[in-house]
Amino acid sequence: MKTKLLLILLMSIVTVNALAHHVLGRPAYSLSSDSNTPPSMQVETQIGEFFVTYMVFPAFPQPGQQGRLNLYATHRDTGKPFDGQVAFEIRDDKWFGGHKETLGVQKIDDGVYRQGFLVSNAGEYLVRAQFVSGGEPYTIDFPLKIGQVSGVGPVAIALIFIVSVLIIVSVVQRKRLLRGKIQAAHRDTST
Amino acid sequence: MIMTHPGLPVYWQGLIIVFMFLVSAWALIAPLPKKAGHRGWPLEKLPVIGYFIRFLNNSPWPLLIAKIVVVAVFLTVIYAGLQGTPVPERNLATVLTWNLWWAGLIVAIFFLGSAWCAICPWDAMATWLVRRHLWGRGLLNNSLNLKVPKWLRNVWPALLLFMALTWFELGVGVTLDPYATAVLALLIVVLATLSLALFEDKAFCHYFCPVGRTVGYYSQLAPVALRPLDPSVCQDCKTLECFHGSDKVEPCPTHLVMGTLKENTFCTSCGNCVQSCPEKNVSWHLRPQSVEVKQDARPNWDDAWFMLGLLTLTSFHGITMLPFWYDSVSQFGGWIGDSGQLLLSFSLGMLFVMLAPIALYAVLVYWSQQWTGAAVRYRQAFSVLAFASLPLAFSYHIAHNLNHLVRESHDLIALFVNPSGVGTLPLSVMEKHERHLQMIISQDTLFLLQGGLMLFGFWLAIQVIRYRAFALYSETKLWVLPIIIFALLVHGFDLWLMAQPMTMRM
Repeated sequence: MKTKLLLILLMSIVTVNALAHHVLGRPAYSLSSDSNTPPSMQVETQIGEFFVTYMVFPAFPQPGQQGRLNLYATHRDTGKPFDGQVAFEIRDDKWFGGHKETLGVQKIDDGVYRQGFLVSNAGEYLVRAQFVSGGEPYTIDFPLKIGQVSGVGPVAIALIFIVSVLIIVSVVQRKRLLRGKIQAAHRDTST
Repeated sequence: MIMTHPGLPVYWQGLIIVFMFLVSAWALIAPLPKKAGHRGWPLEKLPVIGYFIRFLNNSPWPLLIAKIVVVAVFLTVIYAGLQGTPVPERNLATVLTWNLWWAGLIVAIFFLGSAWCAICPWDAMATWLVRRHLWGRGLLNNSLNLKVPKWLRNVWPALLLFMALTWFELGVGVTLDPYATAVLALLIVVLATLSLALFEDKAFCHYFCPVGRTVGYYSQLAPVALRPLDPSVCQDCKTLECFHGSDKVEPCPTHLVMGTLKENTFCTSCGNCVQSCPEKNVSWHLRPQSVEVKQDARPNWDDAWFMLGLLTLTSFHGITMLPFWYDSVSQFGGWIGDSGQLLLSFSLGMLFVMLAPIALYAVLVYWSQQWTGAAVRYRQAFSVLAFASLPLAFSYHIAHNLNHLVRESHDLIALFVNPSGVGTLPLSVMEKHERHLQMIISQDTLFLLQGGLMLFGFWLAIQVIRYRAFALYSETKLWVLPIIIFALLVHGFDLWLMAQPMTMRM
């Protein structure tokens, strides 16, 4: 039993090596504000043997606007860039379902994997970058926000939850009061 | 580009280290302490401030107006976080929440105790939603008024939520994400409302709120407290309006009786006791900062863990703002095959930083307890001596937060004018440099405050150790040595953290 548990634990560690989850990004200047590079959304992460930096130009792309993704992957120990192919895919950032589309497969160009994109609808998306190194597949999800996304969702969920709780509590309280009144009436009639 | 704040200069480090060893030596040879005095001065009898205190005490309106203002700002934060720019330094949600409020709150406790809880927007909104009235005693049938289950009547839930908050703040990186900041703020409103709708009184404030409990424990060290003006009036009181409330005023939200109140921990400064007392016998007092933590606060097992948790999580905040932390987590992540945001590595690192000092404390308490040979249970010694961690945590916490407040709280007017940061861009390198140069107070003054706080915190911790250990063991002096060693190690480590260049948050 113990061996099985250990095996499962080991397998889970090995499998996370190949999959990095969605990571938060931060808008910043890639070089400096004085350079001619516009601010980008930047994410720095690591997966397996690689440090990966992901940049979105412009930092806040609008629907229908041409944008570009830059991906740098360098080996953690040697610092050498990963030299291979990276496949980019875009999908809706939804828990269930959602549309997905291949953006392209890119080769290294001056140490960078560059991928253009053009998204026509505002929303929250995930860009999935996939590559294979040493026979092992690597998959990383990065955030991509297009245009102004409505922030009503969390407020609506919070409101629906609160109102539901208050309604349930109110109903239970009314039943309690009613039961109390009936019991009091029974006591009065019995005495 | 990562910017760092300079650490405490060498001369301050040297001074504090010498002071720590001198005070420790003194504690081992000085006569045993007697009981600390209880003297307090009613603030309402002081010349200028007394007028303000009487104004606050006489009517519920000042507090209600303050609550409405804070809730309005809170709603603006939610709006800005959900709808505004994702640039953290340009969005009111992130700057106000993490740089100003979260950093300033700890500093405010030093002067105002648990005053924040009186105007807390989470509790205000929950109360308005459940009780459906702005102030005063409402219809109780809007809540199920269930008793909190016995296994939840402690501060373990608050400690776990505090750990979760720290995990979200530093691990997930909520501090740099306005949207996530707003969602977190909303989540706490939901939890507070749910708790108020289910349980009697303010169970959320009492047992669950990580911020409220942090404020509560640190308030033991506050110079102000709500106390009776004349204790004999409370002794003769049979009606206990402070506890039960009156026709118009709600009861104490955390079940406190003013006549026997000796510690601030669970007082939310709501002022219900002030408003309900028919004798007008409750008001704000000025008092020595150490009396409560030295002898009045009652030791409990869960309280001890929360205070130790505060100590370790406070140091952890400092550690994560040192550049080496990122490299260590990255390296550790590589070893265990972690990837992405390295949350597993971060969580294990956080657990280690929390548990290592607590394990050290546990061993040193055992040593102390065994050394004395006194008939004191280990659990009791663990709970009593944990009070020493409070001044250590508080002094380092304020000293650390002053860095954020003084060096990172800029352009607040611009942020309030444009809370969503519409049309703004990330901070340029030039702007970051300007922020470094434009501090609210001079750098030397900041170092003076930080150094002074570190000295004060250690002095207070040694006082607490002497008083608490004397009350625990009643004899000899050398048994305090293990706990003094603990204070030296922890404060020495915090001092080392203060001396390091600290990564600028935004």
